Amino acid sequence: MSPVSNILEEIRDSLANLDLEKTIELVNKALNQGVDVMDIIERGLAEGMKLIGEMYERGEYFVADMIVAAEIFNEAMRIVKPMILESKKKFKPLGRVVIGTVYGDIHDIGKNLVATVLEANGFEVIDLGIDVTVEKFVEAVKKHQPDILGMSALLTTTMPHMREVIEALKKEGLREKVKVIVGGAPVTEQFAREIGADGYAENAFKAVEVCKRLINK
Amino acid sequence: MDLMRPRERVITTLRHEEPDRIPIDFGSTHVSTINPMCYRDLRRFLGLEARPARVKDVVAQLTEVDAELIELFHSDFIDVNRCLPPTNTEIYYRDTFYQCMVCLNRDPETGKAEIVDPSWKLWHHSYGNFYEEIPSLIDIVEEGSNYVIKLHDIVLGIGSKSSFTFAPIDSHGANPLANVRSINEVKDFNWDAFKYSDRYLEFLRKKAEYLHRSTDYVLVYSLAGRVHAWAQALRGWTRWLSDLRLRKPLANAILDHIMDVVLYNTKKIIDYIGEYITVIGYADDLGTEEGPQISVQLFREMYKHRYEELFSYIKKHSKLFIFLHSDGAIFPLIKEFIDVGLDIINPIQLSAKGMDPEKLKKEYGEQITFWGGGADVQRVLPFAKLEDVVQHVRDMIRVLAPGGGFIFATTHNIQPPTPSENIVAVFKAAYEHGRYPIR
Repeated sequence: MSPVSNILEEIRDSLANLDLEKTIELVNKALNQGVDVMDIIERGLAEGMKLIGEMYERGEYFVADMIVAAEIFNEAMRIVKPMILESKKKFKPLGRVVIGTVYGDIHDIGKNLVATVLEANGFEVIDLGIDVTVEKFVEAVKKHQPDILGMSALLTTTMPHMREVIEALKKEGLREKVKVIVGGAPVTEQFAREIGADGYAENAFKAVEVCKRLINK
Repeated sequence: MDLMRPRERVITTLRHEEPDRIPIDFGSTHVSTINPMCYRDLRRFLGLEARPARVKDVVAQLTEVDAELIELFHSDFIDVNRCLPPTNTEIYYRDTFYQCMVCLNRDPETGKAEIVDPSWKLWHHSYGNFYEEIPSLIDIVEEGSNYVIKLHDIVLGIGSKSSFTFAPIDSHGANPLANVRSINEVKDFNWDAFKYSDRYLEFLRKKAEYLHRSTDYVLVYSLAGRVHAWAQALRGWTRWLSDLRLRKPLANAILDHIMDVVLYNTKKIIDYIGEYITVIGYADDLGTEEGPQISVQLFREMYKHRYEELFSYIKKHSKLFIFLHSDGAIFPLIKEFIDVGLDIINPIQLSAKGMDPEKLKKEYGEQITFWGGGADVQRVLPFAKLEDVVQHVRDMIRVLAPGGGFIFATTHNIQPPTPSENIVAVFKAAYEHGRYPIR
């Protein structure tokens, strides 16, 4: 095995083991050794997040572990992100996702996890934050022209705003230009269908699968 | 006719024997009561005198259930902190410990978290168009599309005007320990402010003594502290979860201070009212809809020995039964709590993954009492037809009641848009179909 694959596997495994210090140390070491930054992201960090997702699905990891993983991933990304432009490889995101928590809702734990896991899987993510009005969602779709718009809600009382955003996109003639996914504790597959969304996912890893499927359509 | 009085009935089921009927709880805890709008409708539906609901927790919008409803629904329990009759109405004192966890309201003299609250006022919820009674020290003001709940100038909670329950300020990112980095900074936090004052405890003793002497009800102190959930409120929900893994020394320091407060308050409750109450409760939401927030391994490392110390103290110094509330999917953690002496787990959140009542009863029914799980407030109560509600209650009773070790309560507080007829049907079914032997 080449030394490069070796250190990338170590990065993957230390992230999957939720070891913050070791992951950061290895990322710095890899950079010093001249390993390409896109390889660090794609073959190291992203692979680590993939393992974590599998362990979560198998019930070996819990929400707390997901949050720790996201913190380590984001910490590592802070180091490598400024160097992406220097990479010999061209950064070609799988797709662009605009994401936010709907109006009147301030809950962002699930939304943040989805954003991090999407990023780890090669999507470009534009996070509009919490309490995002219908107008702000529409504006962001116009401005960023994403492939996918993701909306999150934790409350049954704020869920209906998802429908309003979809209606507003239709009115502006934007609905056909963007796929819409929805999620959050009270949101169901059935609700997603009813309001005319293109996809629903019950957790961050399912969200990645759904997004990949949607951009390949 | 009931053959047993509430105290005998409850003790019997807590000993995992079958009493005359299943004990019923309506309103004795902070997780088994009802929203004030539903309550207004319920009184109207029952033809009772129109009266605004008195709210015992303004942020969570929890009603203090009137004595006539407690009696009508055959509830066996009573909240020892209550102000309404059958409490001696001369003793107006409200435990706002739950809110103080969040807001840090301090008595200027003692520096301790408390409110002496002799008066109440009416507040009108404009979206729901109903009145409720709130402590006169608390103001609810409109700010944009929100209601903001304030105690003097301290914000306790915020919620959309179209919402029927509000969220404490800590869930809006106002976490007092969010930025601490060192153990010394943790030490500097005013932990003493959360310790019960002797003044509060004196009031509490009078109230408990009165209720114990003049009623038959089982007295409950339902929220004597939180551990994991308090740490999450202090640090922020996600930050705390990563603290447990990435910043263990800091996490342990915070937990040591939390346990110091919880143990102090527990000792005081036992000293002051231990002889009058039957149940002492704690609340620690450790689950999500999908699974526990943390692994069993992490629970053992960070929490189990702390709970063991707390519960052992209670067992050694009192005859109290210990109640723990945790929402969510917590199946794997129940055994851990049984190991350290927990008597009662609440509520069995029927909609959470893996919280299968049959499996729970089979696996742990002989070792722990289930309080709750009698009717699903998320999926059934608000939406189901009357006959389906009755069937649902009967199904839950058949699973959970045999052999005792079951106290009937809804899975959480009853929320809009639950129809009054469904609420009445739930408690009627629990009473009528709750006679032992269960058929």
